[in-house]
Amino acid sequence: MIAFEHVGKRYGGRFEALAHLNFRVERGEMVFLTGHSGAGKSSLLRLIMRLERPSRGRVVVAGHDIAQLHASQVPFYRRQIGVVFQDHQLLFDRSVFHNVSLPLEIQGIEPRETARRVRAALDKVGLLHREKALPVELSGGEQQRVGIARAVVNKPSLLLADEPTGNLDPQLSADIMGLFEDFNRIGTTVMIASHDLALIARLRHRILRLRDGRLVADEGAV
Amino acid sequence: MKPSATPRRPKGAAPKVSRTKARAPARPESPKPKSRGGANSHQTRFSSRLRAWGRHHRAMSWDSFYRLVRHPVGNLLTMLAIAIALVLPAALWLTLDSARLLDAELDESATLTVYLQTSVDTAQAERIEQAVSAEQAVLDTRMISAEQGMVEFQQSLGLDDALAGLADNPLPASIVVRPRSVEPLAMQQLASTLEALAGVDEVRVDLAWVERLRHLAALGRRVALALGVLFGLGVLLVVGNTIRLSVESRRREIEVVMLIGATHAFVRRPFLYSGAWYGLGGGLLALGLLGLGNHWLSLPVAALAASYGASFSLPQLDMTGATILLSCSTLLGWLGAWLAVTRHLTSIRPR
Repeated sequence: MIAFEHVGKRYGGRFEALAHLNFRVERGEMVFLTGHSGAGKSSLLRLIMRLERPSRGRVVVAGHDIAQLHASQVPFYRRQIGVVFQDHQLLFDRSVFHNVSLPLEIQGIEPRETARRVRAALDKVGLLHREKALPVELSGGEQQRVGIARAVVNKPSLLLADEPTGNLDPQLSADIMGLFEDFNRIGTTVMIASHDLALIARLRHRILRLRDGRLVADEGAV
Repeated sequence: MKPSATPRRPKGAAPKVSRTKARAPARPESPKPKSRGGANSHQTRFSSRLRAWGRHHRAMSWDSFYRLVRHPVGNLLTMLAIAIALVLPAALWLTLDSARLLDAELDESATLTVYLQTSVDTAQAERIEQAVSAEQAVLDTRMISAEQGMVEFQQSLGLDDALAGLADNPLPASIVVRPRSVEPLAMQQLASTLEALAGVDEVRVDLAWVERLRHLAALGRRVALALGVLFGLGVLLVVGNTIRLSVESRRREIEVVMLIGATHAFVRRPFLYSGAWYGLGGGLLALGLLGLGNHWLSLPVAALAASYGASFSLPQLDMTGATILLSCSTLLGWLGAWLAVTRHLTSIRPR
């Protein structure tokens, strides 16, 4: 599903965020990405989302070198990836329902089908009863779950999450991780950047460990 | 997202990268996926995409309209700025339009005067007039005998006494010729033909002032065009700046939708509609201002025209003119928005 081949990323010509990255993630895998802050976890995810291009090497997603994508193809590529952000990236002037329906609106799905899928996604994260609420009326954990619902509403084959439990207490964090495991169980490839070592150690999935932009450990690979 | 759905999709769920395929939303678990392939499903996919496109256009035109209505004062000021920029060239254009009507009237009074030699007597003069009338390029002629010429001269100068002292009439008989064509070149040609006739002393072409007026009108038209272009640019700037601010205020929203796969066209659409609404509103206000100005000036203009013994009323913008003005302003608004958003989108990169 994802292959990094000798990938390096420099910012501004000097600062080396990532170097000599080589790894593969198979379809249907669930992988944690960990390391201290500044180790390059976010940079790595940004490369997969094609928010950045590698300075060196190739990033191959589903058989395509994504650096070769034309700018006009990038939106269509991104629609295949669900992303959960640490700060949710919710729009605060629209209801929960309209936040979650955003990816479907962008794809031009018809309203009735949109409503059905949004409710299914909200049901999955346990927020069906809050669909009319505004994001500010929700707790941090609920906001994060709205973000997850939005990421999975168009059934992406790849789900990325950047510190999805960053600001949550342990119980909520465990719940959120449980959700990701559910999605993984139905075939979605999941990659989660997190520094919550205790939590991810308990979950027994593959862990990629970064330090100073280099891959220092690849544990639990199948 | 039902967990009961197919576990592990064998294929079809991969990010499709070829553009045509990726455009159609990949729906690995869509409600009716069984009948895949075939021209029929291809057609329905195309028409559903078309419908989605139309739906978004409709939604965005209303959305941008409500956004305008929600802040009526500020947006009205923007439209007023556009209207003022449009009124000036439009008013000038209207004025020139009426000048063109005047020009047509002037054409009728463009004449040549054929002065006969003083030795020519009345009978000869009549023969010469017939010869002149026979010319192809001549519409009609009017003979002014030497005596008539003297009378007219005295009247126009009011110098009865001085001229009465003259022993004999120094004025020649003349023929006023109305040419068929008022083109300067044709008139020059006609003049030289007439000059060659026996008994003709001189031919005068009373063209200079007609020419001057023409040049003035041409100058005015160019000024109007230049002003139109300048003020059109002004409209672009006004709309562009307004749209730039609204893009800036919705920056977060744009970043988020771009993160989840919105195309530039999708992001641009609401702003293009805003720009078009601004343009349309500005155009309507400009029409109103023109009507108001017309109303306000019509009385003094009529009085002025009456004092010259003419009946002249200010020109009104007709249906065609109004349509042109509105479409131009709408187009300018749209273009201004397009420029602003396109310039701005490159600077907005999702974080």
